[in-house]
Amino acid sequence: MDRIVFSGLGKRYGRQWVLRGVSTAFAAGEVVMVAGPNGSGKTTWIKCLLGLVHATEGTIAVNGRCVGRDPMYRAGIGYMPQYAEFPRELTVDQLLRMMNDIREAPAGGTDDRLIGELGVDALAHKRIGALSGGMRQKVSAVLAFRYRPEVLVLDEPTAGLDPVSATTLLAAVQRAARAGSTVLITSHIMEEVQRLGDRLAYLQDGRLRFALPPDTIIGATGEPALALALPTFLAQQAEQHVEGL
Amino acid sequence: MWKVCRYTLLDLLRNRSAVGYTVLLLLITTGLFMLEADNTKALITLSQVVLAITPLLTLVFTIIWFYGQYEFTVLLAVQPLRRSAITQAQYVAVTGALLLAFWLGVGLPLLAWAPGATSLTLLAAGSLLTTICCALGLWIAVCQRDRAKAVGIGLAVWVLLVLVWDALLLWLMYSFSDRPIEPLIVPLAALNPIDLARMMVMFRIDLAALLGYTGAVYQDFFGSPGGTLAALSALLAWTLLPLWRAVRGFQRKDL
Repeated sequence: MDRIVFSGLGKRYGRQWVLRGVSTAFAAGEVVMVAGPNGSGKTTWIKCLLGLVHATEGTIAVNGRCVGRDPMYRAGIGYMPQYAEFPRELTVDQLLRMMNDIREAPAGGTDDRLIGELGVDALAHKRIGALSGGMRQKVSAVLAFRYRPEVLVLDEPTAGLDPVSATTLLAAVQRAARAGSTVLITSHIMEEVQRLGDRLAYLQDGRLRFALPPDTIIGATGEPALALALPTFLAQQAEQHVEGL
Repeated sequence: MWKVCRYTLLDLLRNRSAVGYTVLLLLITTGLFMLEADNTKALITLSQVVLAITPLLTLVFTIIWFYGQYEFTVLLAVQPLRRSAITQAQYVAVTGALLLAFWLGVGLPLLAWAPGATSLTLLAAGSLLTTICCALGLWIAVCQRDRAKAVGIGLAVWVLLVLVWDALLLWLMYSFSDRPIEPLIVPLAALNPIDLARMMVMFRIDLAALLGYTGAVYQDFFGSPGGTLAALSALLAWTLLPLWRAVRGFQRKDL
């Protein structure tokens, strides 16, 4: 069974459709890289899934449950925003306890591996206001992975992280996918997309152009890497579209 | 709701602006009592200062705090929590922190220099204005995406309640002085929470006589049990209506 199903999803702000007719499904254990030009609707799509933006039309189902007013479906979601902000006067330890309380996590029911791997344990008693942007990103990553989510949504997760921490984080993504999590990652870094993604979901002008494995895109163009293959593939698609008319 | 409220309050209690607000109120209150030998005169001046400053700083603090917390509020909205619970928790936490600041900054000096019913009334009036202005500030912040515009609206609301409303009432009374306008003035005054709070304090100090015939009209109405009930209901409505609008607005908002 598909873990996430989008059916005719659309979002309009005023008269402007920023997302239209998005229909696709993602399975358990799948890593989906979401890419597209600026303003293509990536953030709105992700936010619809998270329940932050109310869809104008269409539906989203997570594990067969329709995303609507009932917030409990979000118990199975982990989210790492691009820029993490937390209450500045709390310590990291207090923030982790706050999230534990909200999630009602039983003792020992959390995945704390990333805490040690990213060195967040050393920050436990520091005020969040005293942390650098990169340190806050590490805390944010820990929170996203900690509750063993069925759906993991990461918005530009390696932006602001040092190279070692970025590698650690991407390894955690692969681990989570092997454990059955469906992972959605927005990224402009094509090396990451090629290395991690089972599929690349490409949005343009608010429409989902394709959701294909990176190897299929590379194979269709004959280019050696996805970074080179993607522009060629998009040009091929545009030509086919014109011929179809 | 309490899970979010507890940690938000913990954060707010260490917030430098909240501590600064406490110190400012403490300095004003202590300074007034130290400069004025007559405690009643000090109380009158204090009530004027407190009833003007508290709504302003509460409104501005709530609005700025909401925008400062916006990214974290979004993260909370991704947790298995109802959005209404998040707004309610934030309201209770901000109101709690500002009430504590008010009680420490104004309440403690009042207890030391002028303990009594009048001081209690002033504390009650200031507390009610704090709860009202927190709700108004939250409503403004939820509905307005731009921080600067939200602060501007907050300041405009404060100017309306503190200055413009009274000027309008005075103009009405002056323009229709030859007609029996008092039955209209009482409900109009009740539409302004700062006026209501001011009247609560004035009647306790027994200064209504200074307000002339209008003061007598007010005292007749608000001094009665029915009038007190009406005033408290109006102040409660001033808290609940904006809070309800803030909760509804946040539920429907695209974050």
